[in-house]
Amino acid sequence: MDIAEILTKDEPGKRHLLLGNEAIARGAIEAGLELASTYPGTPSSEIGDSLFRAVKQGKYFFEYCTNEKVAMEVAGAAAVANARSLVIMKHVGLNVASDAFMTLNYIGVRAGLVIVSADDPGCWSSQNEQDNRLYAMLGDTMMLEPADPQEAKEMTIAAFDLSEELEQPVLLRVTTRVSHTRAGVELGPIREPRNNPNFERDPFRFVTVPSVARIRHPILVEKVKQATELSEKSEWNRIYDKGRLGIITSGVSFNYVMEALEALQIKAAIFKIGMTYPLPKKKLQKFIASKEQVIVVEELKPYLENHARAFSQEESIITPILGKSQGYFSEIGELSPRKVMEGIAQALGKEIPPDFRAIDEKFSEDLVESPPRPPILCAGCPHRATFYEVATATGRKGVYPTDIGCYTLAIQPPLEMADLLLCMGSSIGTSCGLTAVLDKPIIGAIGDSTFFHSGIPGLVNAVYNQHPVKIIVVDNHTTAMTGHQPHPGTGITGMGVKGQGISIEEVARGVGIQFVKVINPLKVKESIRAIREAVSFDGPAVIISRSPCALVERARKRRENEPIIPYEVNPEVCQGCRVCIDKLGCAAAIWEGEHAAIDSDLCSGCGVCAEICPYKAIREIEINERV
Amino acid sequence: MFTGVGGTGVLTAARVLATAALIEGQNVRMGEIHGMAQRGGAVNCTIRIGSSVHGPIVPTGKADVLLSVEPVEALRNVDRIMPTGTIIVGQYQIVPTAVLLGRAEYPSDKEILRDLSKFAKVVTFDAASLAQDAGSLLTMNTVLIGAALGLNLLPLNEESIISAIKDVLPARYHNMNISALQKGKNAPKQTINV
Repeated sequence: MDIAEILTKDEPGKRHLLLGNEAIARGAIEAGLELASTYPGTPSSEIGDSLFRAVKQGKYFFEYCTNEKVAMEVAGAAAVANARSLVIMKHVGLNVASDAFMTLNYIGVRAGLVIVSADDPGCWSSQNEQDNRLYAMLGDTMMLEPADPQEAKEMTIAAFDLSEELEQPVLLRVTTRVSHTRAGVELGPIREPRNNPNFERDPFRFVTVPSVARIRHPILVEKVKQATELSEKSEWNRIYDKGRLGIITSGVSFNYVMEALEALQIKAAIFKIGMTYPLPKKKLQKFIASKEQVIVVEELKPYLENHARAFSQEESIITPILGKSQGYFSEIGELSPRKVMEGIAQALGKEIPPDFRAIDEKFSEDLVESPPRPPILCAGCPHRATFYEVATATGRKGVYPTDIGCYTLAIQPPLEMADLLLCMGSSIGTSCGLTAVLDKPIIGAIGDSTFFHSGIPGLVNAVYNQHPVKIIVVDNHTTAMTGHQPHPGTGITGMGVKGQGISIEEVARGVGIQFVKVINPLKVKESIRAIREAVSFDGPAVIISRSPCALVERARKRRENEPIIPYEVNPEVCQGCRVCIDKLGCAAAIWEGEHAAIDSDLCSGCGVCAEICPYKAIREIEINERV
Repeated sequence: MFTGVGGTGVLTAARVLATAALIEGQNVRMGEIHGMAQRGGAVNCTIRIGSSVHGPIVPTGKADVLLSVEPVEALRNVDRIMPTGTIIVGQYQIVPTAVLLGRAEYPSDKEILRDLSKFAKVVTFDAASLAQDAGSLLTMNTVLIGAALGLNLLPLNEESIISAIKDVLPARYHNMNISALQKGKNAPKQTINV
């Protein structure tokens, strides 16, 4: 069934197999959503994408913003103007949005504002695994934390209600294993959007000049007090089962605790914290005081654990609190049922289930080694051609800062064209820093969506401070890594309207870059020439390497019945020099012992390997051979 | 547990199983990985069915069935199979770039099957050819589901799997996947016991 239909049909009681992220989108719609904004980022992307796909049937406004800070401002303002709003981002997106976030709490909102932060313990698809529960504390902002898709939907609705009750934004924190778990989700009724947007002027609340900020801070502290009262009574902070042993847990870890206790045959009372900020202090104190010992099970930082200790100290409760501080659990990576089983067993001085060890021993013994299979650039990906060209044009003598996107995968052999990466947009700023201190070519790579997200200020800095950076914008006309969302360069909006795309070359010229050139990376020789020119240019230079994403292009050709003509290697001509494999390493390349070959199912027909073959051994498959 | 390579239909096949469980009114969790991990890299997908299931992760030695069309990907995750479980593995090798570049070796079929069989019973057959016969290589994971069904390893019945195929996939792929399911179910297979 179509996701748009599942999200927007009012059929309470119906069950669908939904991804946690789809359940959040449905929850927002059930809560009477009026506006949603986002910048895509794994593991949050499918929330926005589902809302995008359902936008025609839905009754809300949706937009992909240039970055998370803008998204926060868009949704924040809408909520101030009495429209129920949702803003969605990955954990590191909240860093980008943090400037707006840290003051939005001072002014508060009129209608519900829910901020989704999708954290990524284990760094499945991220540059770090920061624990955004600490943002709730830093920003005095209420936080709910679901354990599974059904709860994710229910908590989204509850978050809107909480937000409206206290006129404060609410964070909904999910993790990869909630966002990307599918489960049966029972739908609820859809509330009609209120459709009563109204900006009631109140400058001494909404204009945060210092004198207003000073008034608002104590109000915020008072709101946290009220929120604590709500947390004490909240049905989301629930105790399951009974026992002299207590376990405190939250989010996805709750599932692992339930499974671990069953496997270990241990009886315990489990305090599942669904509202992780502010914590139900009195309820926690009472729980801890009533137990012989308490184990805290949570991913990443010892957030609950440290609070549990501080709360206990206030009431002179001496129940031992066991967790990360004694080393039973790690603050690195995600938890799993096994890690929780082992941690609990160890904390209680019990034997770790022996069957794990037997399997581990067998697994680490003399098994034949599995070759590594990291994620790679797709067959026919234009980024591969671009990085081959940059490597060739500069003889690999430069430094190559990179950025966040598919092209970061150029870190893998044989390209190995990634030297420095911090965060979205960092390639240009780091290039500036490197040119300031090094006397060699600095060539930064940034994607089109990332360029708009946060690359432009770096480029302005390069011009202003006269850094002769060389920036390659790898423009595949989509936000590929996160699932092919549109962006300002495509001109397609979150409402599905096609407008005028913003031209990267005009932006570059507009901020004062004197050398701006557009290349087609599938034309190897011309591209190498242009890159050499840029490198020898005296001043900052921008090259836009433009070619559509191979996946999008393949889908388009299929849709429009345009043939995909793969290439083949003529084994008679191939000398086995391996240039196509050792320098380019396309995912469709095969080595047959003495000569190269091409997997015609994977080949996209880009022809780059044919162009670089020194013996002209690669050609398009002839018509009569085509299937 | 389904393992394989990003882009070969692992996620979709797993969704078919999870949907079939939901159709039968069973409690189900499916775990998947998106984003950067997906691009041509090793992927795995877990389907857990039953009333005591809470989360999506399958612990070490707790998978009843391990399905993989790609031999090395079965081996990479073999610590998940239960000693009394069954590994169903195809013979469709996808050679990683590291092997192509001479920086790693792809083990022989014999070595892989030998090592897999140290952990549990192994059932192997040429799932890729059957998938081609059914109409597309991309149905090879459905062929594996058919094999598991034929060996009575799934807590699901055939009708609900067929309904799930119709629910999850676009109409133009229904017949080839139902045919792939039958081919997998009926195909002669080689069994290697522990």
